[in-house]
Amino acid sequence: MFGEDEIIKGHASRARWIAFIVLCCFFILGLRLFYLQVYKGDVFYRYSVNNKIRKEVLPSPRGMIFSRNSKLLVNNVPRFDAIMIPQFVKDRKKLITKMSAILGMSEKEIHKVLKRNGGQARYRPITIKKNISPREVAIMETEAEKIPGMRVSTFISRDYLDSEVGAHTLGYISEISQAQLPKYRRRDKFNYKLGDFIGQSGIEEFFDNILRGIDGQEILEVDARGRMRRVLEDNNLYKDIKNLPVLPGNNLRLTLDRDLQLAAFKALEGKVGSAVAMDVKTGDVLAMVSRPSFDPSKFSTQLTTNYWNSIIKNENRPLRDRSIQEHYAPGSTFKAITAIAALEEKIIDEKTTYDCAGKLKLGRRTFHCWKKSGHGKTDVVKALKESCDVFFYQIAKKLSIDKLADYARAFGVGSRTGIDLKRETTGLMPDSDWKEKRFGRPWQGGETLGCVIGQSYVLMTPVQLAVTYAAIANEGKILKPNLIKEVFSVFGEINQKSSPKIKSEMNISKETFRIVKEGLFSVVNEKGGTAYWYRPKNSTMSGKTGTSQVKSFSAEDIYKKCEDREYKSRHHAIFSAYAPSENPEIAISVVVEHGCHGSSAAAPVAKAIVDEYYKQKTLVSTD
Amino acid sequence: MRANIKIFPELFKRYDFSFFGVSTLIFIMGVLNLYSVTNTSTLSNHTGLYKTQIAYFGVSLIAGFVTSLIDLKTIYRYSYWFYFFNIFLLLLVLILGDVGMGARRWLVLGPIRLQPSELMKITVVLALSRWFTRNNPDREMGFKEVIFPFLMAVLPALLIIVEPDLGTGLLILLIFLVIAFYRSLKWKTIFIIAILSVLSGTAMYKFGLKEYQKKRILTFIDPDADAQGSGYNAIQSKISIGSGKVFGKGYMKSSQASLNYLPENHTDFVFSVFNEEHGFLGASILIFLYLTLFYRLIWLSQSVTKIYQSICAVGLMSIYFWHTFINMGMVMGLLPIVGLPLPLMSYGGSSLLTFGIACGLATSISNSRNLF
Repeated sequence: MFGEDEIIKGHASRARWIAFIVLCCFFILGLRLFYLQVYKGDVFYRYSVNNKIRKEVLPSPRGMIFSRNSKLLVNNVPRFDAIMIPQFVKDRKKLITKMSAILGMSEKEIHKVLKRNGGQARYRPITIKKNISPREVAIMETEAEKIPGMRVSTFISRDYLDSEVGAHTLGYISEISQAQLPKYRRRDKFNYKLGDFIGQSGIEEFFDNILRGIDGQEILEVDARGRMRRVLEDNNLYKDIKNLPVLPGNNLRLTLDRDLQLAAFKALEGKVGSAVAMDVKTGDVLAMVSRPSFDPSKFSTQLTTNYWNSIIKNENRPLRDRSIQEHYAPGSTFKAITAIAALEEKIIDEKTTYDCAGKLKLGRRTFHCWKKSGHGKTDVVKALKESCDVFFYQIAKKLSIDKLADYARAFGVGSRTGIDLKRETTGLMPDSDWKEKRFGRPWQGGETLGCVIGQSYVLMTPVQLAVTYAAIANEGKILKPNLIKEVFSVFGEINQKSSPKIKSEMNISKETFRIVKEGLFSVVNEKGGTAYWYRPKNSTMSGKTGTSQVKSFSAEDIYKKCEDREYKSRHHAIFSAYAPSENPEIAISVVVEHGCHGSSAAAPVAKAIVDEYYKQKTLVSTD
Repeated sequence: MRANIKIFPELFKRYDFSFFGVSTLIFIMGVLNLYSVTNTSTLSNHTGLYKTQIAYFGVSLIAGFVTSLIDLKTIYRYSYWFYFFNIFLLLLVLILGDVGMGARRWLVLGPIRLQPSELMKITVVLALSRWFTRNNPDREMGFKEVIFPFLMAVLPALLIIVEPDLGTGLLILLIFLVIAFYRSLKWKTIFIIAILSVLSGTAMYKFGLKEYQKKRILTFIDPDADAQGSGYNAIQSKISIGSGKVFGKGYMKSSQASLNYLPENHTDFVFSVFNEEHGFLGASILIFLYLTLFYRLIWLSQSVTKIYQSICAVGLMSIYFWHTFINMGMVMGLLPIVGLPLPLMSYGGSSLLTFGIACGLATSISNSRNLF
């Protein structure tokens, strides 16, 4: 197959073509070199010797966040960093000594910072110390003239005006991590880069792409000491580099009411838990707080090790947003759903009574009512009012778990509410299939007895509980909890306005709602109701207390006083309500971990929120 | 691999030292330049880089020399094997490669870090040469005839592009183009390909892409590029070259490099610094040396008697040519910055090894001329 001399000869013309094209290409390169080095050489020479150009990034302000009533919640404040630009440094030693004196850092620390940033280009500034004090700024500014290479640079940082109040809902920002970068780069129109601050939780995280602005850039011509000479015009040499304008991020007006937030946060003082208040017609979240909390301002500037340790070592986990990330057995607050299911399924009617003797035997097991002496003859209204367990045990004997689960799920139990926050948990509504799958064992009749009073496997988040009680208040509408009222630009143009979102509507008779509402009314407003002592001053409220067991206790231990138990074994206190009782406007849910009694620990928080809500209302109407 | 030990003395009588000679000359200029680049700057932490580069060159010389002793018939026979083994390495890189500067390019075997995409340039030349040798109709070729070898080039190109290393990926396609052109691809076909690719390319870029997508492509091409200040690097490079004027600022006198204005100035931007220090005159000498290599290879393609060797020579020439042309074009601001090294000048072991082996192959082809 070899020996094809003729074929090679046949390619001679192509070889000549290749030789010619190569020559042409290098002729062009030669012309270009001639143009750059001979024709324009003097110009470039001047640039290389006298002038240095520097690219200055103009940071774009992040959008601000306002409350429902346009009160500022999150602001931008300037922050000052001490930086060094290696290319302008004349006397490195002197500079380090000086900086260490001004900033109160040891020279060793500064060397360490410099070493860490050693590999990068010399025109890139190195941050020596972040967030320096105004005094340090003043000294730095005056000394900078004498010591080239040392400068103060301004950044925009975040200030959360109410510090710990609503920190979980608002979230915090911090530097994008190396691990996050690829994911964010892929995401959208922003040039995410190391050093950028992004929302890491709450609204800051979920609406990062709305709040975030686009950084601008300016190409500056600077002299040998790094001082700016002028902003470069787009002349011929620099036609390829552009100055880019700063595009600020959009502002948010939230549905949160600042006064309600403060009231709810104050009412939870010293407790571990959360409170959620929402508008029953629109789904607007008016208040959403969780305690213990943290100060997002501290997370968004420079986190001190002490503060970080105090947060991380706190066993109550302050970073956790209890209103959406934690689920609890709803306890007796769940009885409203059981009552609705029983009424709708015609297992009971308004007049059905059961006799409560303090306990009920089923098979070999005895189920206790919370009241040892029993409630006597009890109808559904009284059962809700006094939270009689035996009445609901009787229902459980006739109501299948699957039927109950259908109703509970219709009320949103076991699925995310869809609130615009990340890491929301689902809660849980068990049924026979679920148990079979989870444990490989069939459902036991006794377990239904636990479920009807909101124990056993039932789990709900505070925000779910608020949605459920809003649905009772508005008679059947499951609303998506809404956090954003509107999005508007820095110029005040409204870009986006939210509207109520009804997720589903239930087909439950008015009569059923009337009966259950009567029960919930009596809980707060009639003597003997579990929350009678915590009724609001100037308005009416309907609701239900709940006390959910954290542990199961033996028969002799069950009536032991909750406060005498170890903290971790105490019951969670839950209260869920809406107000006013006629034509309800807001729904509230409160959970106090290990608070023992829904009545004494959780109901006062709800009362505080309702009181504040009416104070606002009367203020507005008298204006 | 049959190195003919017996005919060693005869071998050296007809051994062509020209390729190694010119390569070494360019390398010496390169390593002196590298020393200047990394040691002018006071804060540089690359001061010892030139030593590593000399070690790499030593290894590459040995690899090249060994390659020059291998019988070309053996290379011809194993062309496809080399090719598939290299494809396998590329796949391996994608699966368990080492990530550097945002791209998976390296394969780590103990102390050795290898870029299979670099070797692919050579193995694709060998495989294409073999295909065009076996399928040698005595007529011009159109679309239909070259579709198979085209796919042979596209496969590794795609594997390299997804690393991502768009520059090297496109380079493989350009190598194919040169070989296909040499093997009588119809002029008509060439024009159609040229027009189509220009049209579709500009149309895509102009109308099909949003501003941020364009930016993303630019960062995709060069992950190290300053996404925000596109153009900044190119400007600094132009200032550097231009300021050298006719005679240059002198050795170790580059101000741009000493200030670390130039990113990657020991890899992609070495030519800028060389120009700053040695001016138009120095650059002309360097370009002349490169042209010597190209024309020697083109001449070689016409003076051998075997078609496989002829095609190989053209293919090797195209590797040298495209690297040199694209690198120089990009630092002068004529071509987009795609991050291709300048042969024998840029810092980098894989790159040196590639050109060492290429040099060995060229020498071997040249030596075979004198065999009956």
